[in-house]
Amino acid sequence: MRIELNEDQKLIQESAADFAIKHVKPIAAELDETQEFPVALLPKLAEMGFMGIAVPEEYGGAGLDYVSYVLVMEELARYCGTTSVIVSVNNSLACEPILTYGTEEQKQEFLTPLASGEKLGCFALTEPNSGSDCGSMKTYAKREGEDWILNGAKIFITCATNAQTAIVFTSTNPSQGNRGITAFIVDMDQPGVSVKTMHGKMGIRASGLAEIVFEDVKVPDSNRLGEVDKGFKIAMTTLNAGRIGIAAQAVGISRGAMEESIQYSSERQQFGKPIGKFQAIQFFLADMAVRIDASRLLTLKACTLKDKGENYNNLSAMAKLLAGETATWVTNKAVQVHGGYGYIKEYNVERYFRDARITEIYEGTSEIQKVVISRELLG
Amino acid sequence: MKIYVCCKHVPDVAMPFQIKEGRLLSEDLNYVLNAYDASSVEAALVLKETHEAEVSLVLIGPDKGKEALRKGLAMGADNAYHICDAAFEGSDSHAYAQILFQFFSDREYDFILCGKQSQDMDMGLTGGMLAQKLSIPYVTNAVGLEVDSEAKSLTVKRQGDLGAEMVQTPFPSIVTCSNDMNDPRIPSLKGIMTSKKKPMEVIDLAGLGLEESQVGSSGSSSAIVSWSLPPERQAGLKLEGDPEEIVTQLMEKLTTEAKVL
Repeated sequence: MRIELNEDQKLIQESAADFAIKHVKPIAAELDETQEFPVALLPKLAEMGFMGIAVPEEYGGAGLDYVSYVLVMEELARYCGTTSVIVSVNNSLACEPILTYGTEEQKQEFLTPLASGEKLGCFALTEPNSGSDCGSMKTYAKREGEDWILNGAKIFITCATNAQTAIVFTSTNPSQGNRGITAFIVDMDQPGVSVKTMHGKMGIRASGLAEIVFEDVKVPDSNRLGEVDKGFKIAMTTLNAGRIGIAAQAVGISRGAMEESIQYSSERQQFGKPIGKFQAIQFFLADMAVRIDASRLLTLKACTLKDKGENYNNLSAMAKLLAGETATWVTNKAVQVHGGYGYIKEYNVERYFRDARITEIYEGTSEIQKVVISRELLG
Repeated sequence: MKIYVCCKHVPDVAMPFQIKEGRLLSEDLNYVLNAYDASSVEAALVLKETHEAEVSLVLIGPDKGKEALRKGLAMGADNAYHICDAAFEGSDSHAYAQILFQFFSDREYDFILCGKQSQDMDMGLTGGMLAQKLSIPYVTNAVGLEVDSEAKSLTVKRQGDLGAEMVQTPFPSIVTCSNDMNDPRIPSLKGIMTSKKKPMEVIDLAGLGLEESQVGSSGSSSAIVSWSLPPERQAGLKLEGDPEEIVTQLMEKLTTEAKVL
């Protein structure tokens, strides 16, 4: 079952699918093996308009809706978790907060290059001892005249190895926890910013994950995003939007695993017939299809609410929760369908299995999504 | 330069087909721009990048055919003509050529590009029939195209089994394009949104000045009597033994059974 797409959205989906087959599919396995950030792919993504899909055209974006964004995300993720998360981070975690909370000057200076794909962004929130509990962050910003001086370290920052612009969350009033956080737009090339690649990830291995260290980094007050001590709201609303993209990524990875399983089931013969003739396999595939469609529908529902300007927090949490758990379940079953071949790199499903796992963790764990959902239920 | 590209909306051949009682079930098929026509559009757009040109698309088909035209406009064509009328249903290549002839008869153009065939019917006839009706030169299976706008001529590279040949033809001409010619560009998001503002004119039977007897099955010189799926692929035969035994068995089968030696 699908929500009916309009003519524009069908064309967008077709273009994204064609792009993914032509440019992403051929390099996906190699990216996973080499862990090298796909620098050559960035201009192609930019040329297609994929780096600022929901950003207005006046700021270099494509000026489309969030449904269009998730259609692109799903098609990219169908072949490559790495590529899809790069697009997601730039769109949802870098462009979105500047679009929502930035001054006009900040939009012109920072948003336009990000949305056009001229520059790449990242979102620096997590610290070694501050994950779900982001109010406990230690990266600190101290006001000095017209500038702020940043000191601290962030980890698990996707795209950090290649980003030029970072949205950095700092503690400006430690005693206030969540109510003492301020966001800044930071030039990653400036003195005091150093990046150290984090290797050895289970999946999405070429996403440029890194630790960022800030040593007396001077940031002008004009780069402050939003009001002082009001950064927690920026982080949360940004993640609310971002998790829609991750839900779409999870749907794409799941769909890829299912489609490969369908093909394998048609070809692999045991006991004199394709294994797709056996009920056990048929039931796996049926369950995959149901979960994927349900995840997609929730994701599209969250998009339609966002596009209408309505409160979508609960739906985005539901979509990410279901889609992430679906991705883990579907890719696990995909490996099972493939048997021994599912455990070896010759087939793609083992990569999908590894790529899927992060969708239950980043941009808000599944448990955090349940906190959001239960709060809505209980008031 | 004024370039027209004839397009067709065809079932996606990558999807499975169903045939029931000799009839092709078309209700649930996914339709796409014919791949050979996409190459023709791309060829026109490449020329437009280096020459001052207007690229117009023409498509005969039902309402959903406009999706193919939208894609061509999103790729970068300037405008489109959707020739649409229920009377056209059942048209064969001859009827299509008649419709296109009527469309082009009072229009100015420098050359017309068509895909060398359509992916659904594989006839490859419409371009030639149209050229005959328009009394203009016709060059087929192009894999390369260059324009001399001053001399008003085209140089077409044709690919044959034995090699390539270069053919020069004056304006106006019809050239049918192979999908080996190029790799059609994928419409960007900007191209898709810009395409909405580009003109698309719908023309019906009356607008072309044709009678029903000239189109559809009445205007066709051929008819499809039935459809059938290709025979199921036979299981292979595994030859066993040492290499010398296998070769002996293989040679016997190639000689006495397959009769290719």
